[in-house]
Amino acid sequence: MGLGLRWYHFVLWAGFIAIMALMPEFVSKGTLRTIIFANFLAIFAISWDVLSGRTGYISFGHPFLIGIGAYTTAILTKRFDVPVEYAIPTAVIMTMVGGTIMFLPALRIKGSYFALVSLAFMELIYQLVQVIRPDLTGGTRGMSGLVTLTRGAVNGYYLSVTLMIIVALCMWLLMRTRLGTALSAIGMNEESVKGSGLSPTKLKLFAFMTSAFVAGLGGAFYVHYLGSIAPRALFDINFVFTIIVATLIGGASTIVGPMFGAFFLTFLLEYLRPYLPGAERYLIYGVIALLLYMYQPKGLYHIVMTQLDRFKKRADDD
Amino acid sequence: MTKPLTIKNLVKKFGGLTATDDISFDLNEGQSTGLIGPNGAGKTTIFSQIMGEYRQTSGKIELYGSEISKLSTPARIRLGVSRTYQVPRPFAEFTVLENVRVGLMPDSIWKMITEGPNVDREIELALSVGFSENDLRRTPDELSMGDLRKLEMARTMATNPSIMLLDEVFAGLTVGEIDQIAKLIQKMRSENMTFLIVSHDLKALEPLVDDAIAINYGKIIAQGSFASVISDKAVRTSYLGT
Amino acid sequence: MLEIIIQGILLSGLYALIAVGFTLIFSVGRVLNLAYGSYIMVAGYIYFYFSQLLGLPPIAGLLLAGILGSCMGLLKYNLIVKPLKGDHIAVEISTLILAVVLQSAVILFFGNSAKILLPIIPGVIHIGNATVTFNVLAATVASWLILIGLYLFIKKTHIGRAMMAVSMDAKGASISGVDIDKINMITWGISGFLGAIAGVFFASYTQLSPTMWVAPLIIAIAIVIVGGIGSIIGTLVVAHIIGFMEIISVALISPQLRGVFTMLLIILVLVIRPKGLFGREEL
Repeated sequence: MGLGLRWYHFVLWAGFIAIMALMPEFVSKGTLRTIIFANFLAIFAISWDVLSGRTGYISFGHPFLIGIGAYTTAILTKRFDVPVEYAIPTAVIMTMVGGTIMFLPALRIKGSYFALVSLAFMELIYQLVQVIRPDLTGGTRGMSGLVTLTRGAVNGYYLSVTLMIIVALCMWLLMRTRLGTALSAIGMNEESVKGSGLSPTKLKLFAFMTSAFVAGLGGAFYVHYLGSIAPRALFDINFVFTIIVATLIGGASTIVGPMFGAFFLTFLLEYLRPYLPGAERYLIYGVIALLLYMYQPKGLYHIVMTQLDRFKKRADDD
Repeated sequence: MTKPLTIKNLVKKFGGLTATDDISFDLNEGQSTGLIGPNGAGKTTIFSQIMGEYRQTSGKIELYGSEISKLSTPARIRLGVSRTYQVPRPFAEFTVLENVRVGLMPDSIWKMITEGPNVDREIELALSVGFSENDLRRTPDELSMGDLRKLEMARTMATNPSIMLLDEVFAGLTVGEIDQIAKLIQKMRSENMTFLIVSHDLKALEPLVDDAIAINYGKIIAQGSFASVISDKAVRTSYLGT
Repeated sequence: MLEIIIQGILLSGLYALIAVGFTLIFSVGRVLNLAYGSYIMVAGYIYFYFSQLLGLPPIAGLLLAGILGSCMGLLKYNLIVKPLKGDHIAVEISTLILAVVLQSAVILFFGNSAKILLPIIPGVIHIGNATVTFNVLAATVASWLILIGLYLFIKKTHIGRAMMAVSMDAKGASISGVDIDKINMITWGISGFLGAIAGVFFASYTQLSPTMWVAPLIIAIAIVIVGGIGSIIGTLVVAHIIGFMEIISVALISPQLRGVFTMLLIILVLVIRPKGLFGREEL
């Protein structure tokens, strides 16, 4: 498969998994809950990264996909008493259908237009959910009292961390194959990809479906962790913003970048909470994000890697 | 024996401008033809129509006997025709090797995932167009124009074509670099590759082609052996602009 | 019936004003200013602060908001767009971040709750069965005046024609001696001004809240996509299509489906005619 795996990849991943597994021993329940949110944000960020980070089709409406997964499983479990083990896979499939729908405009329009349309998709589902069959969707207020898969912080933590690590590892490996190369190539120059004998349409569809798969999975499990669903929080530009900023700060198109970006951001927000309780926190971290992005759009991952490269070069020179 | 490339009555209009004015010619297998003419004559437009980047206004394009007008650019490349671009368009954040890698990829997602890159072949291609070992991990922003043209060449070769359309592949190259590319083209000719080469550098072009076609204002103004075409009066005036 | 026509005309005029500032940047500057809605929001609050809290006359508040909008536009151009050198993705993302930052800043200063703006011009007038507030009427009249003025500016003045040139072909324009940087600055300044004026009117039509920038942005987006870029008249026509669609769906179908048909229209247009109804652009 030509993954180019080295010994330090194994060590880093093993180390990371070990730390995450042992985390409940070291930290309080409160911190665990924060990490749970970070885990889910990481999943959403990875989902966004696979599509927008790689192919350059920036989506400002990712909650559209997450929402389909969330609402499908919520409606199935609460209104139709479908067991969770069937509801969640169905939710993922429905999200992939949604991903295909979102892909259709991407066939004919590019760049900025697509970004706008994705925003329109999110607005559309936000309005539809409140208006069409509110008896099913819970309308403007959403739903509560949904099936939760785990009880307590520790179990919730283990579920979220397992999900996050599986998703991260799979996507990381997938993007290391030539498929990842092809998707990145689309982001750099789609015309040139055609000129290399590759069909961008197939590749884009695959990217959309993979992104949708992860988004649906994350959305469905998230809803069963929270036990509730609220359209105002879900289909909110702040949520879009959080996902995008997490990915960019960490480093787009690296999978690992979004993961760490999600953690960085979640803890930054938590740290700011006692000082700025409300939405003002977004002010600080928005400014930080903006400055960081303009200084180095490739994110922290790139900054770290360049330093490591410099370190290696110096070591080679000695 | 079906000809690799047949163009019949090709016309391309952009609004009021006729860029391609009823052009017909064909290429036999292993034939190498030079396409010459002043700037703006319409040479690159012909290439673009063959590759499917522009849809012709009317006329036929046949690859190995089949009409390809309905096919997408990647589909035509898979049938065996490939081109370089006058303005190189490499993948800006990939190294030389990674750039070649994209050209080598099969258009199958399953294969992309399950099969790794053929790094030996990537290196082989890159070295064959004149890159040195040091250059292999450079990115396009670190390359000279000449290097970028070499990269275009390597990427085009990577798609494993049987017909190559070369668009000003010598521009910006040093004498030594031209020599290397010329040797490469000769080697491919001996392996029966079909060429259509656009070049302003007539001296470099001459040994590489069997014959030539001269174009001006979208029309063929001369066709035949290289020597006869470049000594043709109409061709000479087209270059001097009288 | 008359009510629908009147409300439709009023709303469409406002939507046209909102959209035109956005379209201008997209046509001339070729970038997406996702913080466009922020002009609307910030201008609304500036007007609120000066005219309602400080008690300045409405015209003063309006003009102040407009000037501030211009300044915001110029700052955005110089601090964000220019350094990013036309990297579209970077500009989109940066303006999105900026929009959220501005939203948080507004929450910090003015609090989270929605505020009702007192009408700029109080009083109502009756046309047939319909009750029309002077406020909204003034907004529509102002919109039309501004749009006509803008149209004349683009067609008749040297700068306006330069802007059109840049929107069609920036390279060609610069070879012809047009100072691209100056034109961009002027465009961003005008866009900011228009957005701000539209913002004050929009705020008085609905209400003032920190999240109010999203809806007009979506409408501007809809008008850009459906109308295509490069034509003020196109923007006007499409604004009316969308305005009337909204009024009709609210009046005849259900108030809650207000925005849904707009969204569906966007998707429909993209499938059938991606360059928009009046667009002259290949995408």
